Amino acid sequence: MFSRPKHMEFVGSNILTIVTFTPAAGALLILFYNRAHARSIRTFALIITLLAFVFSLYLVARFDSSNPDFQFGVRVPWMPSLGIDYSMGVDGISLFLILLTTLLTPLAILASSSINDRLREYFIFMLLLESGMIGVFASLDFFLFYVFWEVMLIPMYFLIGVWGGERRIYAAMKFVLYTMIGSVLMLVAIIALYFIHGNATGTFTFSYPQIQSALASGRLVLSPAIELWLFVAFFLAFAIKVPLFPFHTWLPDAHVEAPTAGSVLLAGVLLKMGTYGLVRFSLPLFPHISHLFAPLISMLAVVGIIYGALVAMVQPDMKKLVAYSSVSHLGFIVLGIFSFTIQGLEGAIYQMLNHGISTGALFLLVGVIYDRRHTRLIEEFGGLANRMPVYATFFLIVTLSSIGLPGLNGFVGEFLVLLGTFGVNHIRAAVAALGVILSAVYMLWMYQRVMWGRVENDRNASLADLAGRERAMLVPILIMIFWMGMYSSYFLRPMDASVMKLLNQTQAGRVEYARDLNTFLSAQRRARSASPIGRSLKTRSASPIGRSLKTRSASPIGRSLKSGCAGSQQAGGADEVVRSALHVFAELTTPALQPFLRLRPIGLALRPAVAPPLLCEEGNVLASK
Amino acid sequence: MNLATINIAAILPTLVLSVVGIVVMVAEPFVGEQKKSNLGWLAFAGTLAAMLSLVPMANNRGQWYSNLWIVDDYDVFLDFIFLLIAAITILTSMDFLRREELNHPEFYSLLLFATAGMLMMAASNELVMVFLGLEILSIATYVMAGFRRADLKSNESALKYFLLGSFSSAFFLYGIALIFGATGSTNLLAIADALRSSKIQISLVSLSAALILIALCFKVAVAPFHVWTPDVYEGAPTPVTGFMSVGPKAAGFAVLFRVFLTAFPSIEDRWGSAIWMVAALTMILGNVIAVVQPNIKRMLAYSSIAHAGYVAVAFAATSDRGVSAALFYLLAYSLMNLGAFAMVTIISRKEDKLVNVTDYAGLGSKRPGLAAVLSLFMLSLAGVPGTAGFAGKFFIFRAALESRLVWLAIIGVVTTVISFYYYLSVIVQMYMREPHDEFSDVRLCGSLKFALVISAAGTLYLGLLPTRVLDWTTTAALR
Amino acid sequence: MLETWVPVLIFFILVAGFGTVSLVLSYAFGPKKPDARKLSPYECGMRPIGSARERFSVKFYLVAMLFLLFDIEAVFLFPWAVVYRDLKLFGFFEMLLFIVVILAGYIYAWKKGALEWER
Repeated sequence: MFSRPKHMEFVGSNILTIVTFTPAAGALLILFYNRAHARSIRTFALIITLLAFVFSLYLVARFDSSNPDFQFGVRVPWMPSLGIDYSMGVDGISLFLILLTTLLTPLAILASSSINDRLREYFIFMLLLESGMIGVFASLDFFLFYVFWEVMLIPMYFLIGVWGGERRIYAAMKFVLYTMIGSVLMLVAIIALYFIHGNATGTFTFSYPQIQSALASGRLVLSPAIELWLFVAFFLAFAIKVPLFPFHTWLPDAHVEAPTAGSVLLAGVLLKMGTYGLVRFSLPLFPHISHLFAPLISMLAVVGIIYGALVAMVQPDMKKLVAYSSVSHLGFIVLGIFSFTIQGLEGAIYQMLNHGISTGALFLLVGVIYDRRHTRLIEEFGGLANRMPVYATFFLIVTLSSIGLPGLNGFVGEFLVLLGTFGVNHIRAAVAALGVILSAVYMLWMYQRVMWGRVENDRNASLADLAGRERAMLVPILIMIFWMGMYSSYFLRPMDASVMKLLNQTQAGRVEYARDLNTFLSAQRRARSASPIGRSLKTRSASPIGRSLKTRSASPIGRSLKSGCAGSQQAGGADEVVRSALHVFAELTTPALQPFLRLRPIGLALRPAVAPPLLCEEGNVLASK
Repeated sequence: MNLATINIAAILPTLVLSVVGIVVMVAEPFVGEQKKSNLGWLAFAGTLAAMLSLVPMANNRGQWYSNLWIVDDYDVFLDFIFLLIAAITILTSMDFLRREELNHPEFYSLLLFATAGMLMMAASNELVMVFLGLEILSIATYVMAGFRRADLKSNESALKYFLLGSFSSAFFLYGIALIFGATGSTNLLAIADALRSSKIQISLVSLSAALILIALCFKVAVAPFHVWTPDVYEGAPTPVTGFMSVGPKAAGFAVLFRVFLTAFPSIEDRWGSAIWMVAALTMILGNVIAVVQPNIKRMLAYSSIAHAGYVAVAFAATSDRGVSAALFYLLAYSLMNLGAFAMVTIISRKEDKLVNVTDYAGLGSKRPGLAAVLSLFMLSLAGVPGTAGFAGKFFIFRAALESRLVWLAIIGVVTTVISFYYYLSVIVQMYMREPHDEFSDVRLCGSLKFALVISAAGTLYLGLLPTRVLDWTTTAALR
Repeated sequence: MLETWVPVLIFFILVAGFGTVSLVLSYAFGPKKPDARKLSPYECGMRPIGSARERFSVKFYLVAMLFLLFDIEAVFLFPWAVVYRDLKLFGFFEMLLFIVVILAGYIYAWKKGALEWER
């Protein structure tokens, strides 16, 4: 065979950097364009994003499906004295999310034809946004991850705030502040994790693989209280981003006010960053607490599914309807993640892609009609199928995909999630399945009201059908809808190894934790009889502030930060929470049902024939305490 | 004392500044009206020369002049910050003075003297010496605050600053007297030695430390000693406000760190909690009150209070890493805040009239370049990753968490989110509101451009590649 | 111990004596033609009774400040003169430097017209 030419090797080892920063470099170049050349700026931005897409195809082509670890890794010291690297890599979980990003961005750019005001800045922000999103999925260093996670907010803020609708400023500000509040706490948790890891192992690093492997191998053990706090900080950031049920209020505002392209990327990619964070960070880093809180989080997810669907049903505005349907769909994803089964997790990741494509497409379609009529109210329309047959066909396919019609992409994801959840808890799965039905109700109802019947509104009488540009942006999506629906194993196979690895680590943590927890609880009982917490509280409560100041290191987090990996010593307030939470949730967690775990869903035939042992010996250790 | 103990190199930057300051002052009456700006460039050259003379100074580490004067990495780094501040302020004010018909080159002299005072503060190893530097700085700043003589607000600003500044000076002096009474010395190292022995009247020492702390808290404008800040900052000429918000603050922190970590480390249990409270209170008050300010100078005044709170967090960490983070933050903050004030100077136009946040409406579409630069400074002040502000905050919170100040770090990040609101509202005005002003009379002359380029480049450099500077601050923090 | 203070005591007595004697002598032998103006405490100054919130010409402050500055110069010069022999040449140059700085201020004040009463 020939040896690969030099430039190929360069591309091979730097492909992630190239994919990530191609859009940013394009943004820089657009700066030099004369603002009068609107047309060429559009074309240039499109070419850049297509280029990024082509590069990301290289990732898929060269991806080794049997390897569960990170591939295409780059690691260059960035701030060596702090243990911060420029470190990137892709595994089965992030691979397709990157592809999703690079696929949706050119489509979003195609959908930006109605933007005429300050075009140059618009495309600069679009391209920067794409770089930021890819960076989030590709980075393997906590610091780098955080940088991308935050930096990406700024272009989105501008896209909503400058090119958005009526209440754009309110929506943009709400979007930024909401996401910030979660992510800054994550920053504190990241730094804390850095010190805990550094104190325990001697190497101070922000490297995700290093910290993760230290946790998995037991070189670093987090005390329950520490793990709880860190988990909460990370989880809050992700839950707001997802958005999980009680944190979702920013989403409808942002979606409704954002320009079409912004909504597409917001729904298609940005929300996935939250669920990606849950999969990538929450589960493997804090497996014990993740398990402990899984019932609660799953319940929130189920509530989100139903709530989102119900609220979507009564929306008069199409965009708002789609936005609330996102809340519902993302509930499915979270439900799948916290089922801790391979089906659930893969279903969740698959559903992330599905939702990105289907909802992205829905926003594109709503944008098409909005460009023509400048309204999105359902009541304004009716009988569009007569005037715009092609549009109506596209819309129908996307609607069916969103509902989860078998044969289209949505079905695979939802089925897997429900399957995985059913193995853990019947009721949750059943209620979530109700969400599927509801989604059919609100989507089809909207479709009916918009497309069918006679054209009653005169202004709809002369609507033109899809133009070439609009077809160009919708056709790739239709291809993906059918492809992912018919041939899902193509997408699931590369995930298998990585998801399996993740699940093994998470499960191992669970068993271990239950053992730990028993010793911890008994130790705590002993400790409580010896030195009651109440006493120590009383003696200090004389001067509340002074107390917290002086006894900084005595507060649970401070203390455990110091000891780095406190096992189970004295009890603090946080441990109390863990304990009581355990009691509640252990009751709620019903034993896993073995038969369903062994079921092989469609498209998973290439998976190793035996389910991972830890899934089978699931003896519900927590409940048997 | 004889000629042999004199070490010119150790005081060279201070000397250069003083001499150039005097030259500018004496030359002023001899120079024609048209050429007065040249004296500004002379002063600028003076700061550059002083910056160059940091090199021979850095080669003369140690204590000089009967241990009054200390030269170490800490000192050199801070001097660098001060000189940078002075240089950028000169560049910003040149056009401003011409525009406001205040073209009196005494301004530059005062600025150079103030800077010399700051250098003295950073380099002094002796409380009386600190006081001397503090007064040289303060008196020059009082005058600069009232430089717009015909303007009532400027007068008010100068008078308030003067009254409260003299108060704080008195506190400081009283603290020095008490510590001299308790330990028999005003030399920081001698005080530290004396405090380690047991025969010390600890109540006297605590009182003295408290007085010194209060005096310096006034200078750096942290809550609850911040009340003067908004009025003074609002009334002072804008470039002076920029200078006041970074220069005296940095110098005050330089002294705080030096005095408390050199002289009083053995009684940390007595002042540590005070710093904790000051930091928490400052971050909360500064950020929350800034939210409701319609005037951008007042908003930036409260923001400067808030930023002092972040530095105080690093102080509360009382570790080398904390000092290093604080030094980094002071540099980062100086750059971005001076940049922001340079922009305010430009936009406020004749007589500093247009200083409401709403006056920035539509700047993004009329003058996209200026708007982009101001956005950069705002985002950096807010602490968006990739800018100096984020790197600085990151290092501070890292130091805080290392010292187990978890709650302080949490308060810090949460108030940072609050700060996003008011920094972003400037961006909202610039990009998302309709312009009601053509901004056609906004002039941007060479010196201002230069100042903006320096601050913007510095802000980005510190944000993207902070390692080199961070390593420098790390060596500077080790004593 | 106390004897060392005897010269001071003598000094005090002399001072008090001289003052008293000259006042008494002028009272006894001086011609007396009083009028309202002559009886006022400051014959050619401001009126001492009345509102204290009067406006003074800013020139007074200027003169006072200049006086203060050059007064301080004298304050530094006297101790220097006392230890001049110990400090030798170092002291001389140090003082020269000081004077030069003061001189710079003097030139500045002069050129700015601070020394001219009417302008």
